[in-house]
Amino acid sequence: MLKIENLTTSFGSVIALDGVSMVAQESKITTVIGANGAGKSTLLRTISGLESPASGSITWEGQSIIDRKPEDIVRAGIAHVPEGHAVISELSVEENINMGSLFRRRINKSDVAASLDEMYQLFPRLQERRKQLAGTLSGGERQMLAISRALVSRPKLLLLDEPSLGLAPLVVEQIIDCVNTLCRSTGLTVLLVEQNANTALGVADHGILLALGKVVADRPAAELKADSTLRAAYLGY
Amino acid sequence: MDTFLAALFSGTSRGAIYALVALGLVIVWRGAGVVNFAQMGQAMFSTYIASTLIQNGNSYWVGFFVALFAGAALGAFLDILVMRPLSNKKKTELLSSESMRAAIPVIASLGILGVLQALAGIIWAAEERGFPAPAAQEGFTVAGSVMPFTSFDVFVISIVLITLTMTTIFFKKTGVGLAMRATALNQEVARLSGIRTNFTRTLSWAISGAASSLAGLLITPTSNLSPNTLDLVLIIGFTAAVVGGLDSPAGAVLGGFIVGLVISFVTFYLSPEDVFISILAVLLIVLIVKPRGILGGKDSRRV
Repeated sequence: MLKIENLTTSFGSVIALDGVSMVAQESKITTVIGANGAGKSTLLRTISGLESPASGSITWEGQSIIDRKPEDIVRAGIAHVPEGHAVISELSVEENINMGSLFRRRINKSDVAASLDEMYQLFPRLQERRKQLAGTLSGGERQMLAISRALVSRPKLLLLDEPSLGLAPLVVEQIIDCVNTLCRSTGLTVLLVEQNANTALGVADHGILLALGKVVADRPAAELKADSTLRAAYLGY
Repeated sequence: MDTFLAALFSGTSRGAIYALVALGLVIVWRGAGVVNFAQMGQAMFSTYIASTLIQNGNSYWVGFFVALFAGAALGAFLDILVMRPLSNKKKTELLSSESMRAAIPVIASLGILGVLQALAGIIWAAEERGFPAPAAQEGFTVAGSVMPFTSFDVFVISIVLITLTMTTIFFKKTGVGLAMRATALNQEVARLSGIRTNFTRTLSWAISGAASSLAGLLITPTSNLSPNTLDLVLIIGFTAAVVGGLDSPAGAVLGGFIVGLVISFVTFYLSPEDVFISILAVLLIVLIVKPRGILGGKDSRRV
């Protein structure tokens, strides 16, 4: 379980996260929704160690992970798929996937090969294109690749930042379905950040609404989805 | 015909060394984002170490391998001691602009160069000294006439080709090589993948240090050794890297051979005084036609 208390992260004089407290329950999908600039991405970036918070605590499996480096946080079982289909365009599809399991090579070499195969079963399209440079893939394929790269590190918690950004609705559905299946079948914990609140709340167990760096609602997803007042006030539809 | 062959062979042999220098620059540029002006200072330093060992009665090869090791160690040391603290500094006002963050390590490398040259002057005195070659520097004799090609040239070209092949295989086929490429291309994604980027950056410095020490060892038999003889080699190697594309190892090698051949042909057919103007002309033409170098990628920073 991931537990965040009173987390504040600022960039110079701009406060991006303002005393956020939340929990991501084990083997559940928790979604963080909110308008542009609400601090959703900063939240994930602070968890994965890319930004250092000004104050507050992040506890993962009973241990504080604040001030740990991103590369150590991955090793602790938290994989982050940042915004914008973060893959390395100049590397091949296979290299991008393998990159995520490099650190496990010395620990368990055969498992590294197995995890590559698993990704190809999960996303057969990536296998067809395994020798191609990641830069030549479509947006959806790149998102699948970014997720694969994160999954081969065998995380217990997956941080997903706007997987739907810039993708066709059909592709979004496919990717969200896939994450949903993974969570339900393998017990993966997911923290999903989305601007597309409807899609996210449709698949999530729990929803957190963020506005200007503060938590304004923290409820079961279905309840949040049904609350038209909140929706109108913070999401504008 | 003889002049042509002489120019071709000497250009290839020189070009191989410039390729090595350019490769060293490209590795640190790609792996750590720094144009390292101290590179040939490091090479000079390790060549002096080899020279001292050899003068004290050790074999050439003891000096050779100790110098390569010293070059790698010095590179790693500079990264850990100077570059890492500079780049890990909390974002102060001074470091808040992107261009300052990029410029500071480059200026630091110039500082390192000065320190290394002064140190070498103090330790070994600033006068020129010779450096031995491991193979004969007289031309081969074919059918009674002396060819403009020496066994030292063969040694240089083959050792450089072996190094280039090994570097390519290392980067393409090994996990550490993949980690280094990933770090160079996108540090954030690399770190999120669990790659220890501080380590891979230091490794870039070490490999580059060894490669440039090799260049130093191979060029000093023909140029002599003093604290600043290798400055010129750095300038030519840098030109080669820019001509080939600063972000492409293959481009660096190509650029090295192009520049080597240009220098050689100009020396043989025109005069040694025209060498610099001709290199500048090549540089200018390449920068106008292909600003990112012959094999430079699309997203690289321009020179």
